[in-house]
Amino acid sequence: MPSPRWALAVANQTGQSSTCSSALAAGIPLAKLDERALVEEAQAGSRQAFEELVRIYDRDVLRLALNLMKRTEDARDVYQEAFLKVYRNLYRFRFECSFYTWLYRIVTNVCLDHLRRRQSRPEDQAPELHSATYDEGTTDFFERQKEFRPGLDPERHLMGREIQTRLAAAMLRLSPRERVVFEMKHYQGLKLRAIGDALGTSEETVKNSLFRATRKLRQELGVLR
Amino acid sequence: MSGADARKSCDAIGPLLFFYVYEEVNEQERAAIEEHLADCVDCSEHLAAERTLYAELASLPQSSDQLDSSGIVLSQCRSELSEKLDELHVPAAKEKWLSFFWLRRWMTVHPAWSAALLILFGLVAGVQGTQWLTGLNNANALDQAVNVRPGMKFTDKQLSTVADVNITSNASVGQQHVRVRMSAQQPVELTGTLDDADVRRVMTYVVENGDRFNPGVLLDCLDALKARSGDLEVRGALLAAARRDQNPAVRLKALEALRDASSDHTVRLALLDALHHDPNPGVRVEAVNLLVRSLEAANGRELSNGKEVAVTVLQGEEDLDSADGVLRTLEVLQRSDPSPYVRLRSAAALREINDRDEQ
Repeated sequence: MPSPRWALAVANQTGQSSTCSSALAAGIPLAKLDERALVEEAQAGSRQAFEELVRIYDRDVLRLALNLMKRTEDARDVYQEAFLKVYRNLYRFRFECSFYTWLYRIVTNVCLDHLRRRQSRPEDQAPELHSATYDEGTTDFFERQKEFRPGLDPERHLMGREIQTRLAAAMLRLSPRERVVFEMKHYQGLKLRAIGDALGTSEETVKNSLFRATRKLRQELGVLR
Repeated sequence: MSGADARKSCDAIGPLLFFYVYEEVNEQERAAIEEHLADCVDCSEHLAAERTLYAELASLPQSSDQLDSSGIVLSQCRSELSEKLDELHVPAAKEKWLSFFWLRRWMTVHPAWSAALLILFGLVAGVQGTQWLTGLNNANALDQAVNVRPGMKFTDKQLSTVADVNITSNASVGQQHVRVRMSAQQPVELTGTLDDADVRRVMTYVVENGDRFNPGVLLDCLDALKARSGDLEVRGALLAAARRDQNPAVRLKALEALRDASSDHTVRLALLDALHHDPNPGVRVEAVNLLVRSLEAANGRELSNGKEVAVTVLQGEEDLDSADGVLRTLEVLQRSDPSPYVRLRSAAALREINDRDEQ
C-alpha cells in the first residue's frame, strides 16, 4: 500500500520553515516552498499558495471521502465543503499542530457530519456497489487476489466474493466514528495517535473504536469459516 | 512454565495480538508478545487468525479505486472548488488582534470572572467616559463653565479675563440673574443678582472698560445697574461711561441710568460737562432732561426742608453746579448749540423752570 501524502507530510515536518512573505515576489516556485511557507502565503491571501496546498492533500481527502461515503456525489460534497472550510478558517490556524492534522480534523468532521446525517435518514443509505463493477477494470478485488495469490482455486475465488459482500454490508453497520477510524487505519495507513489528533480525541479512544470495528467485521466473517 | 502461568500469560497477551498485527504496541509489549509466542501454540494460531483477517480487510477493494479509477472525480472536484473560490472574496486577513488570543482563551475558560471583569470595565469606562466628554465640552464651549457662588473675591487680574456677560431677567421673582463667563485657564461662571457685591463688581468693571466688550453687553449692564445708581461704586462707573465711552448709545444709556441720582453734585457736573462737550445731540438733550429733573428734585427738597439743595458744593464749581449756573448753561445752549433739537429742548427747559419758579 503506497504511503499517503499526509504520512509523508508528517515525515517531512521538521519544524523548519522558510519565511516566505516575499517568496512569491522573489520568483520562487510555490512547489519549492515548504508546507509552513505555503500556509503563511495562503494566510496572507495568496490564492496560488492555497491551491498548491489543495493539490498536496486533495487526492487523499477525496480517497477518504469516497471510501467513507461510497457515493461520488457525497464525496464531492465532502471535498468541497472541507476545503472551503479550510479556506475560510485558514487565518485561524496558528501552527499549534501540523497543517495536515488540522486539515484532517476538518475533513473527518465533515465526513462524520455527512455520515450521521445519512444514518438519521435510512432511506438515504449508500447503495451497495454492483458486483458487476468489480468484474470490470484492473482494480477488481479478485484480479488483485490473483496477483497476490496466483494459486487460488475457483472455490476460494467464490468464497472471496462472499467475504467481500459480507464485509461491505458489515461496514455499513459500523458507527460513523468506527468507520472513520477503520478507514484511516486500514486504508490511509495512519498511526492511531495521528487519527486521535485528527478526530480530536485520545489514542485510547481510537484504539477502542478500531477494536470494536474489527470485532464486528470478524463476527460477520466468522460464519464463513 | 506451568499450565496456570501459561493461561495467565495468554490472557494478558491475547488482547495485544490484535494491535501487534497493526504495529500499535510499544517495544516492551512487543518483546513480551514475541517471547510468549515462541512457547505458546494457541496464541500463535490466534495471531495467524488476526493476520488473516487483517490481510482480508486490507485486500478489500476500496470504493475510491472503483469510483474514481481514472481521476475524473478528482478533476471535477478541483474544478468545482476553483469556481467556488472565484465566487468568494479573498480570505479575511489575519486578525490583527491575535495577540489578544490568550485573553479570549482565558475568558472562555473563566466565564464568571470574564463577566465580572466586563461589568467592571463597563462601569469604569462609563464613569471615566462621562468625565472625559464633559471635559471635552468644557474645552470646546464656554457654555459649560464652572459655576461658582457669589462670595468669591475677584482680583483685578481675574476681572481682566472676563470674556462675556449674559444677563437674564427672572420674571417670577422680579430679579435679574447675571451670568459672567471668564476665559481664564479654567472658565468660571458666576450667577447671581445685583444684591451680590461680586456681581456688581463684575458689571461695573465691564462698564468702566467698555472698549473691551460688545456694546450690547454694555447696554445690558447699564440697564441692570440703573437700579443701583445710589451705590457709590456703581455711580462712579456710570459717570465714567457717560463721560468717556466712545459709543454715544452707551453714553446716553449711562445718563439714563443716572436719572435717580441726578440731584447728586457729581452727576450734575457730569451732565453739565456733557452739555458742553458731548458731540452727540441726543446725549446733550438727555443731559438737559436730567438737569431739569435734578432741579425739580432740588426744589422739592428745598420746599420740604426749607433750606438750600446743594449740601456739598466744591469751591469754584458753585456757579456751574447751582441752579443759576444750570440756567445760564441752558440759555447758552438755547442760543448757540449747533443742534436745533438741543436748542429747542433747552428753550423748553428754561420755560419749565421759569414757570415752576413763578408758581
